[in-house]
Amino acid sequence: MKQFYDFKVEKIKDLSPEDKNLRRENLDLFYKNGFPNKKEEDWKFSDLNSILSKNFDNITNKDFLLDSKKLNLINEFKHNHIYLLDGKLISSDFTHEDKNKISIIDFKYKNNVTIDKNNSLNLLNNALANGGFTLEISKNYKLNKPLIIYNYFSKNLKETIINNKNSIILNDNSELTLINYIDNKSKDNFMVNSMENIEIRRDALLKNIFINNSKSAGYFYKYIKSDLEKNSVFENYILSSGLKFNKLDIEINLNQEYAKSTVFSALNLLESEHQEIKTRINHNSQNCQSYQKIKNVLSDQSKGVYQGKIFVKKIAQKTDAYQLSKALILNDDAEFDAKPELEIYADDVKCSHGSTSGSIDLDSLHYLKSRGIPEKEAYKMLISGFLGETLEKLTEENVKLFLLKKLEGQINGN
Amino acid sequence: MLSIQNLEAKIDNKNILNGLNLNINPGEVHAIMGPNGSGKSTLANVLSGKNGYETKGQIKFNETDLNDLSTEERAQKGIFLAFQYPLEIPGVNTNIFLRTSLNAVRKAKGEKEIDTLTFLKLIKEKASELGIDEKFLSRQLNVGFSGGEKKKNEILQMKLLQPKLSILDETDSGLDIDALRIVADGVNSYKNKDNAFLIITHYQRLLDYIKPDFIHVLSNGKIAKTGGSELGIELEKTGYANIG
Repeated sequence: MKQFYDFKVEKIKDLSPEDKNLRRENLDLFYKNGFPNKKEEDWKFSDLNSILSKNFDNITNKDFLLDSKKLNLINEFKHNHIYLLDGKLISSDFTHEDKNKISIIDFKYKNNVTIDKNNSLNLLNNALANGGFTLEISKNYKLNKPLIIYNYFSKNLKETIINNKNSIILNDNSELTLINYIDNKSKDNFMVNSMENIEIRRDALLKNIFINNSKSAGYFYKYIKSDLEKNSVFENYILSSGLKFNKLDIEINLNQEYAKSTVFSALNLLESEHQEIKTRINHNSQNCQSYQKIKNVLSDQSKGVYQGKIFVKKIAQKTDAYQLSKALILNDDAEFDAKPELEIYADDVKCSHGSTSGSIDLDSLHYLKSRGIPEKEAYKMLISGFLGETLEKLTEENVKLFLLKKLEGQINGN
Repeated sequence: MLSIQNLEAKIDNKNILNGLNLNINPGEVHAIMGPNGSGKSTLANVLSGKNGYETKGQIKFNETDLNDLSTEERAQKGIFLAFQYPLEIPGVNTNIFLRTSLNAVRKAKGEKEIDTLTFLKLIKEKASELGIDEKFLSRQLNVGFSGGEKKKNEILQMKLLQPKLSILDETDSGLDIDALRIVADGVNSYKNKDNAFLIITHYQRLLDYIKPDFIHVLSNGKIAKTGGSELGIELEKTGYANIG
């Protein structure tokens, strides 16, 4: 196979000699394996090496900056924001908050994420990351308004890879609603490889929302490693439809008692979009709960994948773990693959999983039509109902309305 | 208003309706009774335009051939079916569904779409007439509703859309006495000289509250007997065995 990438640590400016060496080591390790392919279990349904080789001639890294873009803040609800351009921190604004309680610092390369040597994208990220942020919320501080991270990308990214690294720390009893907002209309091929380290300390609550605003020809991969302390909560809502390729790889470690996590995903995939949600929920302590509901609607030649693993350690008694995947396949050329996995070593646990796929329920369609609603509209109502149901648990009404509106846009193919 | 001539309907190669004739004029209430499997619900489904039936014969609704119309066009022209088993539709908000439906019908009639505030006022008023708690309207359509709540929701939709012909398919099943009375009152208060009802039921019970002008007994896919409201009382005593 042709070599379709050429990465150089030297392109990154202002590195210390040690840093440079460490990055080179990572890059060498990456080059040994290259991009992951379907022979690796974690990539069996999304052969990234093959996908990239078909769609790129020569991917390179750059030390950008940048054609700066004006930020278009959404006006549906008041919020704080962080502005990332090509993965780099441009600005932040915490107007609605007590600024002493929030710290945001620019990316500093620290090898603070445990590296899975088998994950070559993490190695590549370690070698090439040149942007990102560390956000820390003080003890007992609950943000008044949600925080939107605007992910913008500059125009000339053709055949380029962006690597960035973020870190989010919620100290004891703090609360944050975070919206990862991707806004990119690029028709050029480029790749984004992100790593995020999330620490949720005792009694803290993080709501992590992923929303994509428009169609993009970008290839996105994000690896999230999260660690939860006692009685903390981590909620995820994923609405990333519209990206050419996207894989969210989420590891959640329920490390102390009564920690809770949820993953809700609602994807409406069109054309040749390919998205994968991969989760690994590690129940490392007793009395923890995890809940996953993954919904996909697949049209045209799209492909959806869900690989969800629940791992329950021997000491994690009274675990309550649930995962459900439901897919609506609207076209014979569309594909959905699900691989639910349970690995349980404790004996007093409640774990369940299920996966169904089918087409639109014709009786429901008939019911809506019998009330005068035209077939096309009835179809869309059923699809947005099917997907929108994943937002039921989200308590911020204004955010929910905003997301439902975006979801409708995604269903209409915007 | 509705004229059915020699209607036949098949599903999965099984004949269900075998030459049914029925005429309904404005202002009339017709009841169709009959044993299980006689084709009552099939008639309702065929009139609503449900897919899957192979039909022959003529159905005219105000001089329009119904066979040419899709389900939604029939609804827009004023045919309403209250379902025997209203569907639960997860994720679809009841209020939004009702407004979408009303506006689709209004649009087809060339009327202006109704705005959210006016709609909310209207629906609140109609819901309270039927004793429907407002909180149901902000819930997912029929999800977790009791049998009675679902049926009341059907009548609410009828009163909202103001159809010319309302077909009630076993609307009385699963209702307690109080709910039955509320549903019947809902129907009676909507009834006028310009609209008509086709009430499908197993039992005389509902007909004690909604007085029909005609009762038809359906047997083997045909109307075997037609009479006035006294026929229902007679059937209650003698059963269907002697008819057909």
